Amino acid sequence: MLELLDINAGYEGSTVLRNVTLYVPDRSVVALLGPNGAGKTTTLRVASGLLDPAQGRIVLDGVDMTRWPPFARAERGMCLIPEGRGVFAALSVRDNLRLQSEPGSESDSIDRATQTFPRLGQRLNQVAGTLSGGEQQMLALARAYLANAKVVLLDEVSMGLAPVIVDEIFEFIDRLRSTGVSLLIVEQYVQRALDIADYVYVLNRGAINFVGEPQEIEGEAILESYLG
Amino acid sequence: MNAFIVAVILGLATGSIYALAAMGLVLTYKTSGIFNFAQGAVAAAAAYLFYTLRQSDGIPWPIAALISVALIGVVGGLLLERMGYALREAPVASKVVATVGLLVGIPALLAAWYGSSSRPFDHFLPSHPVHLFVNVGTDQIIIFLLASASAVGLSLFFRRARLGIGMQAVVDDPDLLSLQARNPIVVRRWAWTIGTSFAAVSGILIAPTIGLDAPILTLLVVQAFGAAAIGSFTSIPRTYVGGLIVGVTTALSQLYLASHSGFQGVPPSMPFIILFVVLLVTPKRLLLEKGTRLARRLDFAPALNKRISVPTTLVGLGLLIALPQFVGFRLPLYMTGLLFVILFASLGLLVRTSGQVSLCHLAFAAVGASSFAHFESFGIPWPLAVLLAGLVTVPIGAILAIPAIRLPGIYLAIATFGFGILMQRFVFTNRVMFGSTDSLTAPRPHLGSFHLGTDTGYYYVILGITVACCVVVVLVQRSRLGRLLRALGDSPVALDAHGTNTNFVRLLVFAISAGLAGIAGALSGPVTGFTDGLTFDYSISLLLLAVLALSGRRALASAFIAGGLLQVVPGYITNATVSAYVPAFFGVAAVAVAVVPGIGFAKRFLVARRVRERRGASPVAERRALVRPEVVVAGAPLSGTGRAGGRNGDNRVAERVEMARLGAHQ
Repeated sequence: MLELLDINAGYEGSTVLRNVTLYVPDRSVVALLGPNGAGKTTTLRVASGLLDPAQGRIVLDGVDMTRWPPFARAERGMCLIPEGRGVFAALSVRDNLRLQSEPGSESDSIDRATQTFPRLGQRLNQVAGTLSGGEQQMLALARAYLANAKVVLLDEVSMGLAPVIVDEIFEFIDRLRSTGVSLLIVEQYVQRALDIADYVYVLNRGAINFVGEPQEIEGEAILESYLG
Repeated sequence: MNAFIVAVILGLATGSIYALAAMGLVLTYKTSGIFNFAQGAVAAAAAYLFYTLRQSDGIPWPIAALISVALIGVVGGLLLERMGYALREAPVASKVVATVGLLVGIPALLAAWYGSSSRPFDHFLPSHPVHLFVNVGTDQIIIFLLASASAVGLSLFFRRARLGIGMQAVVDDPDLLSLQARNPIVVRRWAWTIGTSFAAVSGILIAPTIGLDAPILTLLVVQAFGAAAIGSFTSIPRTYVGGLIVGVTTALSQLYLASHSGFQGVPPSMPFIILFVVLLVTPKRLLLEKGTRLARRLDFAPALNKRISVPTTLVGLGLLIALPQFVGFRLPLYMTGLLFVILFASLGLLVRTSGQVSLCHLAFAAVGASSFAHFESFGIPWPLAVLLAGLVTVPIGAILAIPAIRLPGIYLAIATFGFGILMQRFVFTNRVMFGSTDSLTAPRPHLGSFHLGTDTGYYYVILGITVACCVVVVLVQRSRLGRLLRALGDSPVALDAHGTNTNFVRLLVFAISAGLAGIAGALSGPVTGFTDGLTFDYSISLLLLAVLALSGRRALASAFIAGGLLQVVPGYITNATVSAYVPAFFGVAAVAVAVVPGIGFAKRFLVARRVRERRGASPVAERRALVRPEVVVAGAPLSGTGRAGGRNGDNRVAERVEMARLGAHQ
């Protein structure tokens, strides 16, 4: 289980998160929703180690990793797919996949990735920066699959993509979930997120103001929090 | 035919050494986005260390070589990694200043410790000839094989090894690499250690052929830039081939051109011709700048309050006018000091205001000096000759606008560096510039009974022209052009999008800057009465950038401070030991200013957010202080759901969080 306990965090003098506590139980999908600027991305950055919290603890499977750098957390099963395109644009698709895989299992990983996303298989030697947005996102997502993570954090992975691609990506998320990893997802397609989530947290102005199961949350409550 | 083959073999051997240095350079540049101008200086340092261990301390050469490479390559590499880390968000100009600071500082330190005279450097590799068509030295074969093996190894490493791939990734997005369970710091350390060791090896290998001489050693390895350019600063195999091309063309031009008068300048400047031409013809899409994704923009000093600036200017001017009364025989120091104020102000226009780094500013001054002397000898009136000298320099500046238009930041700096050396080696040595004796007379002006020919008289002439040039710089800064230049420094793309012709802006600023530098050059001759090519050594252009970086961010104030630092202060140092260290001080100080937060040029770049990527010594506490809970309570609109209500707002929420935690797959 991933636990964020009483987190305060921010950037250069401005506080973004205030006393945020959030749990991602094993084998479950947690959706983190909220309006722009609520602190969703910051929550994921704190969880993955890209940002140090000013207060609070991050615990994964009982291990306190609050002061661990991102690579150490990644080694222990934390996997953040960041906002935007989380690929190395200057490297080829193949090299990106190599970096994503665990040491020693490179070629095996490339096979697995191309089975999951056949499109990537046709473009292994292409430079990642020249892929379409959807393909880049698939390449970035492949890591969630290859890294053998315990918990995968997805930050707006459907942003700016064509509806067909979004379908494909949600299919992938479903498949990912069936492998037994737990997921913490930040999504703009609220309904789709609610459809797959076991639990929902709504973040507003840096604080959690709703926690519950997706059925409990009424359309209005969400609307209210989104519109302030 | 035999001579041809011998030249080719010689070229392949020296080219192999260039290739080694160049491959190390490309490796570190690809990984860190820092183009290490000091690669040659590192090589020189290794050669000196090797020399000391072997020839002074009598340590057998393999051990001496091992120690030198370990100390310079590994320890130096790790230090350079720290420097690169500190600079990763800095604008291109700061990155250039830092490594140019090293390029100035390291050879100056070596010269201060070992004396500036060249020393013989014994061969250490076995050199008995082997007959392959012609006689080839064993050492040449060894060097060639070593470089080839390194090229193959490094290429494979980059293509196959995870660490090699990680090195190419770390420059663009260290955070993403860290998310992929790879420690970006370790990756960068490896890259810098390998790259710097390559430089160290090349320095030790090349020293026997040229002797122990810091500036020459530095410059020879700098020829690796040409090789790196052929490799587009990214491809290891092409860089290797580039090294061989540079070596062989240089050797062949030595064979065929050195004996022709008028072409003697060609062989030694061959690598720089290659560098400059390759940069001009390489397709733009191949010359992508590394490491700019994280770069911050230039920042400018806020405008001074008039209540401060007007009195300061008046007092300063008063002091300068009164100066001849109390400096006595040191007046010539102040004359050149004022000339350098013009140089610095015009360089600041390029570097500071528009963010374009020029490493050949003294070449403009040289053209000005030479044209002035020629015009004066044609009988053109003195003031007109100065003005014309400035005008003659304008087209030279315009030539440099071509790379400025074509090339992004760092490559412009490299091109100007090549151009500066090219001018010195090739053009200055030509009779057209400084005559057959490499010296032209440059008289002072005459104006009736005003005694302008005396030191005091000529000082006032220079002061008047300096003030006029400063007025020009201020007018440019305040005009529409000034705003366009600052916009250009901030974001060329945005300026393009506004519908401004950025090419024309670049052309204009190079023309103005070169013209002013030309005037400064024209005025420099009459200080001593004659002018020669030696005064305008390319290394002073590097020193100019380093000292300008030390002198603050304000357009005019920094020019005066820099002029004083570079010309006047050293004149007051009478202790020979201390004055030997002055250039080294400038170099080291420039590095410090570019790297260390809170001083000079780089002040704003590095103050707070150092820690997107964590290090052991990250100032976590600092940032904690920024985000203290008290501040949160005091400043946050927590209406109703404050901390008192429970950890996550109200109790209902806290309860539900607990439910969510416990209710996992009930």
